[in-house]
Amino acid sequence: MPLPSIRQLTVAAVALAMAGGLSACGSDSSDTPAGSASTTAGDPHTLNVTISAADGCASDRKTLDAGAVTVKITNRDATGVSEIELLSGERIIGEKENLPPGFSGNFTVEVGAGTYTLYCPGAATEKSPLTVTGAAASSADTSTDALLAAGTKQWGEYVETQVGYLVTGARALSTALKGTDLAAAQTAYKKARSYYEKIEPVAESFASGSQDLDADIDAREGDVPAARWRGFHRIEKGLFADKKLAGLATFGDGLVTNTKKLQALTTGLTYKPFELANGAQELLDEVSASKITGEEERYSHIDLLDVQSNVEGAEQAFADLQPGLAKIDPTLASTVSSQFTALNTLVGKYRSTTDPSGFRLYTTLTNDDKKALAAAVKAVQEPLSRVASKVTR
Amino acid sequence: MTAVPTPPSRRRFLGGALGVAGAVAAGGAGFGVGEVVRRHPAEAAGPDRVPVYGPHQAGIATPAQDRLVFAAFDVTAADRSAVAALLGSWAAAAAQLTAGLPVGGGVDPQRPPLDTGEADGLPPARLTVTVGFGPSLFDHRFGLASRRPAALADLPALPGDALDAARTGGDLGVQACSDDPQVAFHVVRNFARLARGTAVLRWLQLGFGRTSTTSEAQSTPRNLMGFKDGTRNIKAEDAQALADHVWVGARTDQPWMTGGSYAVVRRIRMLVESWDTDSLADQERVFGRTKDTGAPLTGTAEFDQPDLAAKDAAGLPVIDPNAHIRLAAPETNGGQKLLRRGYSYTDGVDPATNLLDAGLFFIAYQQDPRRQFVPIQSRLGGTDNLNEYIRHTGSALFAMPPGLSGPGDWYGKPLFS
Repeated sequence: MPLPSIRQLTVAAVALAMAGGLSACGSDSSDTPAGSASTTAGDPHTLNVTISAADGCASDRKTLDAGAVTVKITNRDATGVSEIELLSGERIIGEKENLPPGFSGNFTVEVGAGTYTLYCPGAATEKSPLTVTGAAASSADTSTDALLAAGTKQWGEYVETQVGYLVTGARALSTALKGTDLAAAQTAYKKARSYYEKIEPVAESFASGSQDLDADIDAREGDVPAARWRGFHRIEKGLFADKKLAGLATFGDGLVTNTKKLQALTTGLTYKPFELANGAQELLDEVSASKITGEEERYSHIDLLDVQSNVEGAEQAFADLQPGLAKIDPTLASTVSSQFTALNTLVGKYRSTTDPSGFRLYTTLTNDDKKALAAAVKAVQEPLSRVASKVTR
Repeated sequence: MTAVPTPPSRRRFLGGALGVAGAVAAGGAGFGVGEVVRRHPAEAAGPDRVPVYGPHQAGIATPAQDRLVFAAFDVTAADRSAVAALLGSWAAAAAQLTAGLPVGGGVDPQRPPLDTGEADGLPPARLTVTVGFGPSLFDHRFGLASRRPAALADLPALPGDALDAARTGGDLGVQACSDDPQVAFHVVRNFARLARGTAVLRWLQLGFGRTSTTSEAQSTPRNLMGFKDGTRNIKAEDAQALADHVWVGARTDQPWMTGGSYAVVRRIRMLVESWDTDSLADQERVFGRTKDTGAPLTGTAEFDQPDLAAKDAAGLPVIDPNAHIRLAAPETNGGQKLLRRGYSYTDGVDPATNLLDAGLFFIAYQQDPRRQFVPIQSRLGGTDNLNEYIRHTGSALFAMPPGLSGPGDWYGKPLFS
């Protein structure tokens, strides 16, 4: 993977570490049985919240002092409530999830003077106001916005970089298709594939009416009428099933044209934070829907390269959101992050130096291998599906 | 819950979009996107509802419902606290779902609904959710080895086993029973979703019709062989039999299981096409009952006590020495009984033979499988006349902890504390 991604991931990691430091006074203990949270009555920096079926979210204070505030939550018996949020206006500034009855947890946030709302979705009383007195609000909210905005900018740069590599790869493939060396053309195919799979949802977003750039670049056999079938997989069939270069040159030229079209459309494009979250989700859907089944690369069997590329693109989009998300919901940010790590570890098991794709061919995987992959993808997707709503408000 | 009751049908939800928007505007608290008010039926007590809280888990001695979905899960998380949190989430979800409510939480257009939605507007139809722990949960992973009950010993290989590993075992077991199959399926689907990142489905079995009677108020259904089997089942009304044979008592080696029970589940495929070519007389010899009334061959009515010693004019036993009714009888098994709660299943057509893959998904609750299921099945599996027509193709064992005491309690809470 080229440098930009590594740099951005590092930045995200540092930001996450800082967020972890902020809440170091004891966050994230969702497994603590109820009743063990100690009550510090009178501490204007601690808010004790009890969630109950009868009263919803009840806190022991209505006012707090500005600065670092710890919210300690116990869900006594509200089976319809599993999370709590602290809102400033419409923005979530702190949150704790996964709190079924019988569990406790806490989170710590930095608050300035002003009015806030405790929000327990699904509770009998869902919202209760909180007043913070003392120093004026810091720029916490705006810095979260700034972090998210910086993230979307990074994503835009990432997309442009990958599309650039894609065009280069398509050109090399096109050249190889005009030559006489089948093996070289097969390698050129494998080299070009990954860049498209990293950013596919962006290309998909340009489909309208009869124009479908994604189909023109990436349709599989049967996805479109035979007469319209072109792009990567048409070339793949020629190279790996028919094993003939004849007739493929025209598809190579078309691929170059279409990837350049994509480059023109994506250059300078801007994104909203939730689009990154949804894009990451779509990339993982790609893995679940067509890669796990081995349908995507049905002739070359380099599905694992596609999987790795989809995952990398998804993780990149998430990493761009992560510094901002870590301020809103550090637990969710670290959950998604650690599930991505687990998924990467699993995908990494299948790296191989014998195939130019860098991975074992998909046909060598057992059903148990595929099940483990599918489960690891789902384990990222479930928490990731909550990210868009966090970065929207 | 004190939510205001409004009957939620899908049509109303769609047609009521304007009303919802109005409600948000009227709320006026600055919650733009985030808040969509969602209302649910009140927790009306009634014939549709089986209480989720009590000394024993529902779904064991409560009247057997018509439909089953049974699922086994493998825990994938390495973290014991993740398992605890999952069991807490399942307990909260079970409370919601058995009350006819969705999996809890708010609704936010920007995120997927917390409940998958296919049971919205459906009554729970006597839904029960019963959760248990397989022997493998007590291995090295979660530090639970010392809490493993002796009665949760791995089932030994039994005569007649033809087990498929993919339909066998599991760290966690979930039995969802309801008179509405969609309601039962909804439980397992949402439990699997709550488990993402912590546990994955290992196998799942649908049961389309109950074969057992667990209450005197119910009549005995027929199995796919056309027979009334399990006539002499333990009934919910028989507190002494439950105490003697089903509930784990105070003398257990693991106090967290007191009030619980052990579930043995077996996927028993019936070779129905072969059975259908067997003569009526031989079918009745195999079971030891008449097919028509279900009476033992020594009696005239279903609930007549079989006379295992009766001889015919030729001096031969009226009930065959290897008749199913004889080998399964408490009299043959030192007085041991099981509470059976099985369901007929089909998984369609066996691709290898084009024959029906159908049979009995056997579920039996008991105090100690080492004393009850294992010896009984060892006897049956060896010589039961039925063996010619059945194959045990799946098997699992789960320790079902006692009932949830109330909101805030969760499955196995003392085990994890």
